[in-house]
Amino acid sequence: MIIKLIGAIVLIVATSLIGFSLAADCGRRPKILRELQALMQMFENEISYLSNLLSDAFNRIHSLSNTEASIIFEDAAKQLEINGVTADVAWEKAVVENCRKLALNSEDKSILINFGRMLGNSDLEGQINNIRLISSQLKLQELKAEEMRKKNEKMYRSLGVMSGLAIAIILF
Amino acid sequence: MTNQITNTHNITNLRTVLNFTRSKMVEMDILPYLIVTLKNILLKIDAQKLDNLQEIRLRAGKPLMVCHDNTDCFLTPEGQFTRDINNAYLVSQQEIVKCLELMSENSVYAYQDEIKSGFITLRGGHRVGISGKVVMLEGQIKNIKDFSGLNIRVAKEIKGCSENIIKYIIKSNNDVFNTLIIGPPQCGKTTILRDIARTLSNGDQKQDFKGLKIGIVDERSEIAACCKGIPQNDVGFRTDVMDGCPKTLGMEMLLRSMSPNAIITDEIGTHGDKEAILKVLNSGVKIIASAHGYNITELKMREELLVLIKSGVFDRYIVLSSRNGPGTLEEVVDSQLSAVYRRCSV
Repeated sequence: MIIKLIGAIVLIVATSLIGFSLAADCGRRPKILRELQALMQMFENEISYLSNLLSDAFNRIHSLSNTEASIIFEDAAKQLEINGVTADVAWEKAVVENCRKLALNSEDKSILINFGRMLGNSDLEGQINNIRLISSQLKLQELKAEEMRKKNEKMYRSLGVMSGLAIAIILF
Repeated sequence: MTNQITNTHNITNLRTVLNFTRSKMVEMDILPYLIVTLKNILLKIDAQKLDNLQEIRLRAGKPLMVCHDNTDCFLTPEGQFTRDINNAYLVSQQEIVKCLELMSENSVYAYQDEIKSGFITLRGGHRVGISGKVVMLEGQIKNIKDFSGLNIRVAKEIKGCSENIIKYIIKSNNDVFNTLIIGPPQCGKTTILRDIARTLSNGDQKQDFKGLKIGIVDERSEIAACCKGIPQNDVGFRTDVMDGCPKTLGMEMLLRSMSPNAIITDEIGTHGDKEAILKVLNSGVKIIASAHGYNITELKMREELLVLIKSGVFDRYIVLSSRNGPGTLEEVVDSQLSAVYRRCSV
């Protein structure tokens, strides 16, 4: 009997943990999207006030901000060091490689890639407009992600606990 | 009257010196800024020929052209020189735009001022001219868009090319004559001016000349070829450069702030130059300048220069031509217009 009880408790704890960790993952996407918006703001400062070159700007953003999302900027800067690589190619590669890691969905990915098309190839005004555009798009994505998080977070948590209970009851 | 009329012909022949310029220059300095399709074609060119290219020209929808040995020819996709337009590789506008992105280190916004002025200077001093649709705003050029042509001019720094000219410029071991270098386009005026700057700045042991503080006003970034403010050409270690600055303003700024012994500038003869030069001379600073022209008589046709010549501002006029290759010294004349040296025509 005691063994059964202990087993049931272990089972419930395990499923709840799975549920909680899935719920925590839901919070990741809005967080990354928020970070990206902050990074874009930094990028705007880098090129408008400091008028840094693209690769310098990317490197500085990565070293100054201690966020997960800045890995895209780091990778893009690395790509730019290769001779003959233009900004759009470098950015797209960096985005594609890191999307999965950063829990971004395909919609976020295409927004980021579209942003890259204009990267570095127009005057300052064009660049800033482009940054403003992606910032507002990211904001929208963040709101959506936030909504989804609220829904899913609760669901995953209760699903974890409930499924543990259900299996325990069935096995008893 | 004439102190030295020597028989030596063809004093400085730049072309013989050309062979000693850095090798692999084009491959290292220029090719990284071309997109892969164009780079691969140029890489197929014979290495020796590649290094002696003078110009690489990209025009939208037109054949890829290079200037080699003073003649221009088309390039085939296999990297062969050809005169037959049907075999030539055609450059697309997209390729030009992408090349320009690479040349501006993927940061067109940071190179806006350079693009506006119509050229970018690459590391190594190579000049890239840009043509396209110009966007105007309130009478000022705001931008160039829809780029349609690039002209990559391979810079050749020829150290020592002024060796035979410098002795006409040096007055004593720490003084120089006010000098005007006269020559038609493409005869090496700027190259020689640069070498003079370097020699005067570093000092010359052969002539027992101590170095002077030199100020260069480099309005079109041709003498020092600055890339992000740093001279890409060796202009000597006592030299200060005002890059991209209008001559008249630059000379004044240098006078006020850098206390030079001599000021060097290119292509004088436009409005306002006269006043600026007189101001330089009144401050006891020497001037070494260059001007377009085939001979002194031709210069007198230009009002600004006529006044300067009449008032005896310049102690030495050095006339160059490209008769025996660029940099041929034709004659040296003093302020009274009597010859100090004249090349004997053969």
